[in-house]
Amino acid sequence: MIEAVADRLLYFVVAVLLGIGLYMTVASPNLVKKVIGVNLMQTAVFLLFVTLAFVEGGSAPVVSQEAVAGRHASPLPHVIVLTAIVVGVAVTALALVLIIRLYVGFESLREDVIQEVRRND
Amino acid sequence: MSVSLVEVSLAAFVILAAIGTAIFRDVMAAIVVFAAYSLGMAVLYTLMLAPDVAMTEAAIGAGVTTILLIVTIAKTNRSSAEELIEVIHWPAVVVAGTFTAVVAWTVFEFPTIGSDEAIAWSNPSVTQHYLTYTYVETGVTNAVTAVLAAYRGFDTFGEAVVVFAVGVAVLVVLDREVFT
Amino acid sequence: MSESERVRQEYTQSPIILTTARILAPFVLTYGLFITFHGADSPGGGFQGGVIIATTVYLLAFTFGVEPTSTWVGHRSMAILAAGGVIIFTGIGFATMALGGNFLEYAEFVAILDLPENEVVKWGMEAVEIGGIAAIIAGVVMALVFLTAGGYGPERGEEP
Repeated sequence: MIEAVADRLLYFVVAVLLGIGLYMTVASPNLVKKVIGVNLMQTAVFLLFVTLAFVEGGSAPVVSQEAVAGRHASPLPHVIVLTAIVVGVAVTALALVLIIRLYVGFESLREDVIQEVRRND
Repeated sequence: MSVSLVEVSLAAFVILAAIGTAIFRDVMAAIVVFAAYSLGMAVLYTLMLAPDVAMTEAAIGAGVTTILLIVTIAKTNRSSAEELIEVIHWPAVVVAGTFTAVVAWTVFEFPTIGSDEAIAWSNPSVTQHYLTYTYVETGVTNAVTAVLAAYRGFDTFGEAVVVFAVGVAVLVVLDREVFT
Repeated sequence: MSESERVRQEYTQSPIILTTARILAPFVLTYGLFITFHGADSPGGGFQGGVIIATTVYLLAFTFGVEPTSTWVGHRSMAILAAGGVIIFTGIGFATMALGGNFLEYAEFVAILDLPENEVVKWGMEAVEIGGIAAIIAGVVMALVFLTAGGYGPERGEEP
């Protein structure tokens, strides 16, 4: 059992990080912290991809000039994660800008206060 | 694979930093801890043989995201913090805990990390093709760059245009699209 | 007075930050350019390099203030970087189509360049990485901090 867990340690880290990110998005009333929670879940998924690409006894995916298959980590998940990180920061920036726009209208970053104000209008 | 001490301590650091991000009441403190979390994550990626990803995570996760969050806090308000720790929301803990348990339960179906049956490695017509023919077909030795710009160039084109579109969307949302 | 206002008024030019930024900025910029141009044979590439280049501007913005840096970089040059990158990327894609291949099938450039096929693909990739991806990312990421710091509404800052 302990062996089976230790062999998949990072997968469990991914599961725990997903849970923490979900907790932040659900429980925190502050919109900025919700965005941080989404970011946290995102990095957990990136860790899952990078771990899937790992191969024991291998090296980073910088290959030799001959056509021989060396033992390297798989480059394909790396590429997907690479572009996803960049798109992720762009989407985060858009979310933050929407939050700034909300703050102009409601003078608050708290979800419950914003809903209260909207109900009273 | 046997887990090394470095790996275990990094995993512990990352989880502790994530918990810190979740429970600190002051948003500024949460942002700073989140930056530390990103750096820990970058080191973990390096350990998992992904230097390209680690570099991107260190520059974007720990750098750009942190700065954007700080600027947002400066533009709005930093929630006043008398207590250090947020009140724990128990129903959400139950939901997140159940979610974690379900995800962790499926993990046992995965092959062990880094074994030859691991998902990316056991599909020889994809990974091994890239690793074998990258230099012959594209003339570069960094397989990540080759897949990024040559094999999956159209995908990358989409991603780059998404970033451009976000720039435009930010201008529109902030009502500043007027050009002088 | 809210806390954020107080923080903004306490903004001073600390000699420590000034000196650090003066020394660091050129090295960070050089490192970003190295990462961009050397992406073919070592870890790196357009995405990482573009972000590191933009980070130099962030460093300057935090040292000398956001508004002066924004004016110094110029809204127009950031827009040109981002839009120019998209145009270059699209242009290379359509150029290969004009030569009879698929979108971004660099091998078609063999018809123009007198090089072996994998060299041609390499130069095509470099063009996309440097002229396309790095330019888009650097331009947009630079602009994001100025836009966020500028806040909502055309009257609060200069036009983008």
